[in-house]
Amino acid sequence: MMLRSAIPLLMLALAADAQSAGEAGGPGLALRAAKALTASMSGEAFIDHAVLLVKDGRIEALGSIDSTPVPEGYEVLDVGDAWISPGMIDLHTHVAGALGDLNDAVFQANPGLRASATVLPKNVLISRTVQGGITTVLLIPGSATNMGGQGVLLKTGFERYEDMCLRDPGSLKVAQGDNPTRWGYRMGRGLMNHHIRATSRKGIAYARAWEDFEAGRGPRPEKRLQLEIFRALRSGATQVATHTQAYTLVMNSILMLSGELGFDTYIDHGEWAGYKTAALAIEHGVAAICGPRELDAPHSRAGDTDGKILGVAAGYQERGMELVGFNTDSPVVPGETLPLQAATAVRFGFEDTDLESIKGVTIVPAMVAGIDDRVGSLEPGKDADVIVTSGDPLDPRSGVEIVLIEGRLVYAAPEVRTW
Amino acid sequence: MRGAIATGLTALLGGALMASAGAAQEAGEPGGPGLAIRARKALTAAREGEQVVDNAVLLIADGKIEAVGPALTTEVPEGYQVRDVGDHWLMPGMIDLHSHEGGTYDLNDTVYLINPELRIHGSVKPHNRKFKRALAGGVTTVLFIPGSGSNSGGQGVLLKTGLDSYEEALVRNPGSLKVAQWGNPEGWTIGVGKTFENYSLRNMFQRGLAYARRWEAHERGEGPEPERDIQWDLFRDLLAKRTQVATHTQVYQVVLETIVMIKGEFGVDVYIDHGSLGGWQAGALARELGVPAILGPRQADWPSRGIIGWAGVAPGRVQGSAAGYQTLGLEQIGFNTDAPVMPQEELFLQAGSAVRYGLDDEHLASVRGLTIIPAVTAGIDHLVGSLEPGKEADVLVISGEPADPRSSIEAVLIEGHLVYDTERDRRRF
Repeated sequence: MMLRSAIPLLMLALAADAQSAGEAGGPGLALRAAKALTASMSGEAFIDHAVLLVKDGRIEALGSIDSTPVPEGYEVLDVGDAWISPGMIDLHTHVAGALGDLNDAVFQANPGLRASATVLPKNVLISRTVQGGITTVLLIPGSATNMGGQGVLLKTGFERYEDMCLRDPGSLKVAQGDNPTRWGYRMGRGLMNHHIRATSRKGIAYARAWEDFEAGRGPRPEKRLQLEIFRALRSGATQVATHTQAYTLVMNSILMLSGELGFDTYIDHGEWAGYKTAALAIEHGVAAICGPRELDAPHSRAGDTDGKILGVAAGYQERGMELVGFNTDSPVVPGETLPLQAATAVRFGFEDTDLESIKGVTIVPAMVAGIDDRVGSLEPGKDADVIVTSGDPLDPRSGVEIVLIEGRLVYAAPEVRTW
Repeated sequence: MRGAIATGLTALLGGALMASAGAAQEAGEPGGPGLAIRARKALTAAREGEQVVDNAVLLIADGKIEAVGPALTTEVPEGYQVRDVGDHWLMPGMIDLHSHEGGTYDLNDTVYLINPELRIHGSVKPHNRKFKRALAGGVTTVLFIPGSGSNSGGQGVLLKTGLDSYEEALVRNPGSLKVAQWGNPEGWTIGVGKTFENYSLRNMFQRGLAYARRWEAHERGEGPEPERDIQWDLFRDLLAKRTQVATHTQVYQVVLETIVMIKGEFGVDVYIDHGSLGGWQAGALARELGVPAILGPRQADWPSRGIIGWAGVAPGRVQGSAAGYQTLGLEQIGFNTDAPVMPQEELFLQAGSAVRYGLDDEHLASVRGLTIIPAVTAGIDHLVGSLEPGKEADVLVISGEPADPRSSIEAVLIEGHLVYDTERDRRRF
């Protein structure tokens, strides 16, 4: 097929040690495809017979073949019947580094620990995630404590940390219920709730002392690494990602973290009956990233479904929430199967008329994590993180053929697929 | 040929014996007459300029190198004793920046997860049996360091191997602050992972440097005299760049953290030591931030076992660590043994293995990695590491290529003293 014969062009440029078309410093690249899914929140949802122009690692333009002239000197890559979409984003993963190091449950709250210290580029699991079309992940600490530490936002396909790093701290990880209850002599919800509030209160006081100092109103505070993240949270430079699923916990995430403490907060690892808090979440501007279980089943420990199987994403959506996304919790569910999370949500009632399922693995997580200026949609000015798939990216019968990150070819499907 | 060598070295030997009998100073030693050594070849390992001098003459006076150059153009001053070592080569003594062979093995007091106050010089036994064998392998300077049972094992000390007393052997104390990450320190108490190790180390640097800055402010007359706290005293040396952090670091993540945390975030001079496994992948960043890499005792990254927590990522090939760093543009590449994990006297084999696994040796990277690179890295290149005027006369007489196991060390001078001579002492290695 045309697609395979086109790929060597890109590979050749790589081998020649020159900058390949589309990369920073290289010539422009024009990607022609049967269909482009834009994942734009405001513009067209898709474009048939599309051309995507990539220059210096960024998206320059996207339009139909008829209306989008290819500038002189651009290399044209025609992928024939294949589709193009933005690279997918998974805000809950543990596989971009060493798994054994993500759960240093020193105290019950450890906001100073950084997942960035464990990143291992090109490891076996993250490489397979690239093959699944996931180009950005939030690598986060485990949930053995109420605050596991700081996540880091990474591009998946690069060889070096400094190229991968999109933002550090990518998040403050908060976990409630289940896993953290096993800490020490076992915690209940009352004490866990107290710990999160008490630590956050200390953090806010610390951040305020720095704000005062910077405004010339007070002495320079002594630097405290456990509380530094709260300066980033107060200034809106990062968010709280709460591993939260059962109703009581999701409610507490919203009321405590967003309402009382004023942090930019989102639900992740969202599942079970948490969707019943949707009205409250909308009121507080809290978005929901769902997975790895996309449904609330009869007799589940947390839910009460009258014998029905209810979709979690559908539950949030029916109650009016617009920002609903998906995550895997890889390796609990393999990172490369992120599209299946979205597809499962649709199976269990998630309305998909405006391609909400695609948005839920691209622009929604980008907005939620505050990185939609860089990634999440095929819109001019954004990083050229693009996947080429043989059909609808959420259909398991489609395969990922090519992955570009910042215009660089990081994956081209081999004859014998490994995913 | 053999006869000529024997004559030359025996002449040295005879003189040394006479000197000790008569309590006079031998040629080349402090206080003695000058010494001129003629050799087939001298590898200078100079920081810049000529690396090889054929038919060379090396002039030594008062324990220091006075000159090195071709026999044709290098005049031997009046009164200098001339030694001809025939077909042998000369090179600077080798330097091993990761050794536990400076005395006794009580060097792993893992009291806390970080112990920057512990000093290894309390364990030094100069001229121990292991040092004698190190000399026979051409190793004249070592950084004797604490073990890796905790994230910071304490302070190393830089020592000469062939001198009898601590005060003579001492090059610098503190020689380093030892930091260790991954592997061994993870066994501390209940087991710690990379995030907590990382936190503990950042916390240590944060507090230590704050202490050092209070002292600096006091010395500038800008603050009260801080209370002396020996837990943090070393950070005054680090802040003033009188010593370096030597990090026992090997897999990618912790090499990366060594570079971005210690050098990038805290601005402290640091080098990678015990560099091995997949750490070479951070080579470009190491070059950018000026972090040297001292590699060994494993010189290769083996194909991945497919386990995510494991280090290797080179798919299906044996990847040389030094070659990896070099390909990514790092020039400051040296070698260490981690003696006794690898015998101290086999330091040269580390350089040999690096070349076997792809290190480009066209510009004598193997020899430089045993001499001038570790000297620059540890900030002692004004004293040792090359055959250049003004440096201490730590000189090896060697039968050929240093990284070739077929070559042997025939004699060793430290600060002009003949401390090893195969004719006099019997071959020890």
